[in-house]
Amino acid sequence: MTVFPLKFRPDENGTVLFADDAGGYFRSDADFLDRYANDCLSLPDESFLKANGHSFDHRDDLSYAAFAYRWARRLYAPTPLDYLILVPTLRCNLACGYCQVSRVNEGTPGFDWDEETLAAVLRYVDGLTTTRMKIEFQGGEPLLQLDILQRVRSFCRERFQVAEFVVCTNLQTVSAEAWEFLAAPDTFISTSLDADAQTHQRQRTITPEKTAHFASNLRSAIDRFGSDKVSALPTLDIRSLPSPGAVVNSFTSFGFRSIYLRPVNYQGFARKRFAAKDTTAEWNAYHSSFIDFLVEHNWTAELPIEEYYFVHCLRRVLQSRHNGHTDLRNPNILGEGYLVVDYDGTVFPTDEARMVTRIGQFDFGMGNIKTGIDRSKLDPLNAESSNNFHPDCVHCPYQAYCGTDLVDDLSRYGRIDMPKHLTDFCQRHMHIFDKIFEMIYSADVKVQKTVAIWAGLPEFEPALAKVHQ
Amino acid sequence: MIDLRLKVDPLPISEPLVVRLCDTAHPSPSENDAHLVRRDAGSREYDIWGFSLTVYVSGSEELDGDLLLILPRQPSAHRLIRANSKHNTLLITEQCDQLCVMCSQPPKKHHADLFDEFAIAAKLAPRDAYIGISGGEPMLHKQRLFEFLADVCASRQDLRFHILTNGQHFEASDLGLMDSIGLDRILWGIPLYASRPDIHDQIVGKAGAFAQLKDSLAMLTRLGASVELRTVVMKQNWNDLPQLANFIINQTPFISVWALMQMERIGYGRMNWDKSFQDTSIDFRHLKSAINLAKAKGIPVSMYNFPLCTVPANYRSMAPSTISDWKRKYLDLCQKCSARSTCGGFFEWYSPSEGFVGLGAL
Repeated sequence: MTVFPLKFRPDENGTVLFADDAGGYFRSDADFLDRYANDCLSLPDESFLKANGHSFDHRDDLSYAAFAYRWARRLYAPTPLDYLILVPTLRCNLACGYCQVSRVNEGTPGFDWDEETLAAVLRYVDGLTTTRMKIEFQGGEPLLQLDILQRVRSFCRERFQVAEFVVCTNLQTVSAEAWEFLAAPDTFISTSLDADAQTHQRQRTITPEKTAHFASNLRSAIDRFGSDKVSALPTLDIRSLPSPGAVVNSFTSFGFRSIYLRPVNYQGFARKRFAAKDTTAEWNAYHSSFIDFLVEHNWTAELPIEEYYFVHCLRRVLQSRHNGHTDLRNPNILGEGYLVVDYDGTVFPTDEARMVTRIGQFDFGMGNIKTGIDRSKLDPLNAESSNNFHPDCVHCPYQAYCGTDLVDDLSRYGRIDMPKHLTDFCQRHMHIFDKIFEMIYSADVKVQKTVAIWAGLPEFEPALAKVHQ
Repeated sequence: MIDLRLKVDPLPISEPLVVRLCDTAHPSPSENDAHLVRRDAGSREYDIWGFSLTVYVSGSEELDGDLLLILPRQPSAHRLIRANSKHNTLLITEQCDQLCVMCSQPPKKHHADLFDEFAIAAKLAPRDAYIGISGGEPMLHKQRLFEFLADVCASRQDLRFHILTNGQHFEASDLGLMDSIGLDRILWGIPLYASRPDIHDQIVGKAGAFAQLKDSLAMLTRLGASVELRTVVMKQNWNDLPQLANFIINQTPFISVWALMQMERIGYGRMNWDKSFQDTSIDFRHLKSAINLAKAKGIPVSMYNFPLCTVPANYRSMAPSTISDWKRKYLDLCQKCSARSTCGGFFEWYSPSEGFVGLGAL
């Protein structure tokens, strides 16, 4: 019998979490670790490992093939490009202090797609092989370029079997034509709702009139189109974090059940306004208290609430092929499945790469949609985009669930070879996965209820908390 | 119950004949088309190559596009494919090398090779038909079966097959052909009854079956075949179900679906009913555990042949209507049930006095 390599992490209670490269996990103790490390496994050890997919008898037997399958399914294989983030304008009618996406004032000329750029984008779209297309309109404020949105949408509806559109709008000023555009069943709204009204006003709208206007537009959008068609993200200032209850009240008052907590990102112009560096520990503590709040909330609430990214990570622990979020993939191949086209036609691998380039830190530009896309610049990064063989990750039990974000590393540290445990990415994810396993192994029925809901189960299953003694 | 045989006046033929019944001329005609010439209350007369074919059937029964197999000198025809049904199955053979305690169709020694007729029928099937292949054990005639599949799949790109096999006969030398036929064209329905060799082997009545099945599943994993694992829930494997779920998530993560099935009270299933039937309407525990674990790990789970009222409310979405139309019935208590339209009901041969205790209209 050969045991597939086990990685381990002790916790503060003296138990040890073990996990393999395919994401199989169990909890045991220091004695088992000792027997494993010294190659003197007992018979019960061996039968436990065998029954739970951690060993094989000979190459190509069922255990071997199944492990290889589970290992391979953990990897992200880019699909043919079927997702474009389009930035038809950089102009915006708000001036949020933390603006993630470099922006210019509403009246500034020279920051919009011209006819030539639009034609080049449509030509590029026309040449794609996919039959299903997703377009996300970013900005600036994309509704300031409604005509372009309409032309792109009409083209895609004709061109693809299925096309879906997301408008990332601040919902500040919505014309009658814009409402009509947003009403289409294939078109979705993504907006920002920064915790509660006070925070939203402080960070985004500045005046009570504008805050009220936004709230009324958001309300109208939900009333008219239903909460399934509208999503909202809060961006939180780590120096002034709202209470979890305030965030939950605010989001549930609009009918939102999924909240994606994001700290002000240390990128783009936000960098100049907020010193968000070295605040990972503070954020982790807040995030943890938020999850605890949701557990309490879900115990009695009629309709449960989730923290989007935490649930995403939980499902990545339990299942393979959960690659729906571009920020957490392994390998995190850039420039393949999706691209960003900026206001001037410059092509970027991700929205973050666009911001990093905009502030002059690194140039992630992959050429221009008008003259041709050049992926070669990404080759050195893509060569480092997997965590499987990274010297800092190979010993981590969370490796199979985790991913890489080299653009984030570059933007924060100017290099990709920081020891992983010193990076914000690693620290945030270690925290999240620690919390997930704490919850999976919790004996608290309230925690179990939330785990079951977030894992998509009718009821909590104790077998998920596998223990070997 | 829908009759899968129809009375006919025997035709002057010496070889089996496949005919497609056509109310009106088919858009892509074939030499097997029989054209309706007369329709009476209890019978219909068709013209095939100038011969008259009379089929006895009630007036309401829809036959347009159906494919019949007519055997020499026999007064009844087999309805191989019913055009407006999703439940069409070709019975390849009644021979089998396992003797499962719940078998609904106990094996017979004799085998008649009808692959050529099945190929004609499949090629004339309605567009996008999903055709079942069953037995006995179809893979006992593996060479003929693969010839049939290669032939039909090459000429009809729209067809797909669901093949029930005990998984005892896959060999490395088959894999190339299976790959060339198309891995997404065939879903292999393979029974796995327990995580423990002794329980599985005892249920299928064959020593070494579990070990053989594991080898087959390893081959199918490497090939990338589509597999539905099928577990009939019985007293014999009831306590092992949670372990079986653990086996499936770890050892067969590639499967398309895990089907947990209730027993069918016919054949050996009837003979062994008392010692095998597990009344899941009063005790759902192990099933629940097994389903939760498989679902959490991303294995699609489906419960076949479970009446909805026997399933706890939050598991009902996993119990689709699966009992084939021709052998499905409803009980008196179903008359006032609000879930009847989505419930698969009961097998025709279900016996209330020996069946579920916990039934009731929803």
